[in-house]
Amino acid sequence: MIDVSMHSIILPLAFPLIAGLLCLFVPRRAGQFAAYIALIAMAVMIVLCWPLLTAAPQIYDVNRWIHLKLDALNRFFIVATVFFGLIVTVYSLGFMKGKVRLGEYYGYLLWTVGFSLIALLANEFILLLIAWGFLGLLLYMLVGIGGFSAAGAAKKSMIIIGGSDAVFIFGIALFWQLTGTTRLDNAPIMLHGARATIAFFAIIIAAFAKAGAMPLHTWVPEAGKHGPASVAAFLPASLDKLLGIYLVTRATTGLFVLGGHFHTLIMFLGAATIICAVMMALIQHDMKRLLSYHAVSQVGYMILGIGTGTALGIAGGLFHMLNNALYKSALFLGAGAVESKTGTTDLDHLGGLAKTMPITFLVCLVASLSISGIPPLNGFASKWMIYQGIVEYGKNGSWTWIVWLIVAMLGSALTLASFVKVLHAVFLCKASPEVKRKNITEVGPGMWLPMAALAVICIITGIFATRLPLRYCIFPAVPGSDAFAGTWWAGPATIALVAAFIIGGVIYLISSVRKARTCPTYIGGEIMDTAVISDLPQGKERSVEVTGTAFYLTIRELPVIKSFYSLADKKMFDPYDLGAKIVFYGVGILRKAHNGVLPLYLTWFLAGALLVLGFVLTVPLK
Amino acid sequence: MDYLILIFQLIIFPGFLFTAVIGLVISWVDRKVTAKVQMRVGPPLLQPFYDILKYMIKETCVPEGASKIFFLSAPLFGFAAVNVAALIVWQSIIHPQAAFMGDLVVVLYLLTVPALSLVLGSFASKNPLASIGGSREIKLIMAYELPFLLAVLVPVIKTHSIRLADILGAQAAVLAPSGILALVVAIVVMQAKLALVPFDCSEAETELTGGALIEYSGPALGMYKLTRVMLWVVMPLFVMVVLLGGINLNNGWQGILAGIGKYVGLVVVAVLIRNTAPRVRIDQAVRFFWGKVTFVAVAAAILALMGY
Repeated sequence: MIDVSMHSIILPLAFPLIAGLLCLFVPRRAGQFAAYIALIAMAVMIVLCWPLLTAAPQIYDVNRWIHLKLDALNRFFIVATVFFGLIVTVYSLGFMKGKVRLGEYYGYLLWTVGFSLIALLANEFILLLIAWGFLGLLLYMLVGIGGFSAAGAAKKSMIIIGGSDAVFIFGIALFWQLTGTTRLDNAPIMLHGARATIAFFAIIIAAFAKAGAMPLHTWVPEAGKHGPASVAAFLPASLDKLLGIYLVTRATTGLFVLGGHFHTLIMFLGAATIICAVMMALIQHDMKRLLSYHAVSQVGYMILGIGTGTALGIAGGLFHMLNNALYKSALFLGAGAVESKTGTTDLDHLGGLAKTMPITFLVCLVASLSISGIPPLNGFASKWMIYQGIVEYGKNGSWTWIVWLIVAMLGSALTLASFVKVLHAVFLCKASPEVKRKNITEVGPGMWLPMAALAVICIITGIFATRLPLRYCIFPAVPGSDAFAGTWWAGPATIALVAAFIIGGVIYLISSVRKARTCPTYIGGEIMDTAVISDLPQGKERSVEVTGTAFYLTIRELPVIKSFYSLADKKMFDPYDLGAKIVFYGVGILRKAHNGVLPLYLTWFLAGALLVLGFVLTVPLK
Repeated sequence: MDYLILIFQLIIFPGFLFTAVIGLVISWVDRKVTAKVQMRVGPPLLQPFYDILKYMIKETCVPEGASKIFFLSAPLFGFAAVNVAALIVWQSIIHPQAAFMGDLVVVLYLLTVPALSLVLGSFASKNPLASIGGSREIKLIMAYELPFLLAVLVPVIKTHSIRLADILGAQAAVLAPSGILALVVAIVVMQAKLALVPFDCSEAETELTGGALIEYSGPALGMYKLTRVMLWVVMPLFVMVVLLGGINLNNGWQGILAGIGKYVGLVVVAVLIRNTAPRVRIDQAVRFFWGKVTFVAVAAAILALMGY
């Protein structure tokens, strides 16, 4: 434990803001110069923030408004934020090269890091709110950099996040009215009575919208698909999860004391998020959109874990948040690599990249297995903790836990199913004609190094879960979470798995596999590539192709599920679209009153004047 | 030193060799019973061993344009996972009170890996028929996982623990109603996990000519077969540990005989189903698992919650 001085805590907050400002002044022609400023700034930030990981909890009272607190919970959030900032910046060097508005891009990236740190450290709701508001705005700007097609997505994100921010302000006002303070670290208040309940849900709504939990998730798929892949990897996939889950954790463990029903409700929302989002992911045709639905689905696990209120569940939820940020940003960066080489992320127009982009394939494979919870990767370790948290929660006598447990475990299988589809359509199946025409090669080291680093960390944090991430980040933040209720020896199990793999390899070596021969694929007794399917001119011929996008039509056509999908197609579960429908309906009524006929306007005027007069006359004078 | 013991346990006893030999003998039982049902004589006892050896000397073909390393290593993932699953399940039977390596959740997740490795291998084959077979396999996983989870969680509902030792220790001598329903569900799911008729739609010789395995030959195909043979041991044992009280080794030869009886009983049921049922379509299978089987599994879970 080291004590961190006030200067060493203010410096990492101010530094990215200043560096970001510098980036904005970089002339357009020398855009890449901004990238180097951002890279240096992020590297400095890592050095500045790394010591915070083992820092002693402390309060920094700068003035009335800037009131910071470092504790066991937010210190690892800070390091994680800066780490993902660095990864995305390194990746962007190659990915964003040659694109326009680079100065803005890197400036906003740095500001996002700066404001996130302020939001995480703030011990004062007003300060938190200001940083939170800026983050929403920066998300809008960053998604908007994706170009013309991203404008709608940026607007949608802005409206959902901004709207939830308004609710957040209302919640804080109620909280202030209840407690007389806007500090975050005063004694938790009991959650009974209407005001406390509304204040709690207002804060939860802000957190859910930021993290992308249902029903406020609908901005994530849009932003993930249309925004640049690096932005998708940084914001909806990792940083917004960190912030949203941070606020959920603060609200459920520090600000309020929850009763049994609130736990049930939050766990219900978490479980619903898992299953609904993963069902939507199954049927997507676009890689980035599919990944975004998983970014939503994974939040469900975190919320479910934290909602249990047990030490193991909360710790599992937080650990899952870190793990999700790792594999999900790896996947988004992988999608970005695919996009930068092929020009598309449409699953129907890809394929065969396993051979031409082997590193991207390996990264996506590891991340896919990790998100599906295959032991011994990190996704398994955190899910396993969440399951234990749910079982512990079940000891209180309620029956709902079994539903949450089943949903969470089934969600894992469905996640696996949808990632198998991605691996098939992008990497393993036959290359589509579009891909064949291009001479695809692996992306440069500037892009694959950050991806590979994330994949390697996924493996390490899985195998050494209790020794590294849990020990330094999670256990100190959640007391009592190191007493597991199950058995999982990640280290010996990995050794056993590797040893068994080697046995298989040895069997291969002593067998005839070394003399493996490459031969063409036959289908129906004919060589597949030359089998005559149709007589079309050169360049337009079709061959036997299974892209994988239609794999789950069987599931889609099942009786009950079919009607859910058709409702989802009509956007009946999207509060944004529902809200828009209601607003436009209301506007339509008002529009009828504006027909441009003068006598009608005079009538309205007169009616209004009469109303005012009536009001004035009925109010008693003092 | 501990790791040396671990490696010994993994390779010799009770891991790879022990499980594989039992599995090969059991696969002979399967073939013999099938032959009797079809009025044939059936193969000699050592035939499954010869078959595995034959795979090892046959030529390996890798499809053109496929990633050779990935195509050949895909079977090894499933093989590795089934070995470790075997080790954990056997250890929970041999030393019921000692915690070893993994709990119920770990075994459940490890047992999905063989199917996953089949799917990835089929996708790496670059053959449309293999892709269709692989997609059927993954849909089958989605379908049977829901009732299977419900069934194996029945003892978790009763014990509030996911440790295999606690689950084994809490099982009464007489099966409870919830346990019987869960066992029925587990037997049906086992049929799908072992890719037996009526749920062999991923391989479907008649319409997909081998489907997921269509491009595999030689040692790589042998590896899949070996994995499946080991699953013939691990799956019934896992069901026994979770729902039937495992094998009681403290009870002398009676306990061991009773254990063998349970195991052979489960295997014979699987063999009889596979010889008397026709193959279902994949949508029928999904509907069956998410409909009827899940209904029974939910009933089992509700009974368990009520204490029956």
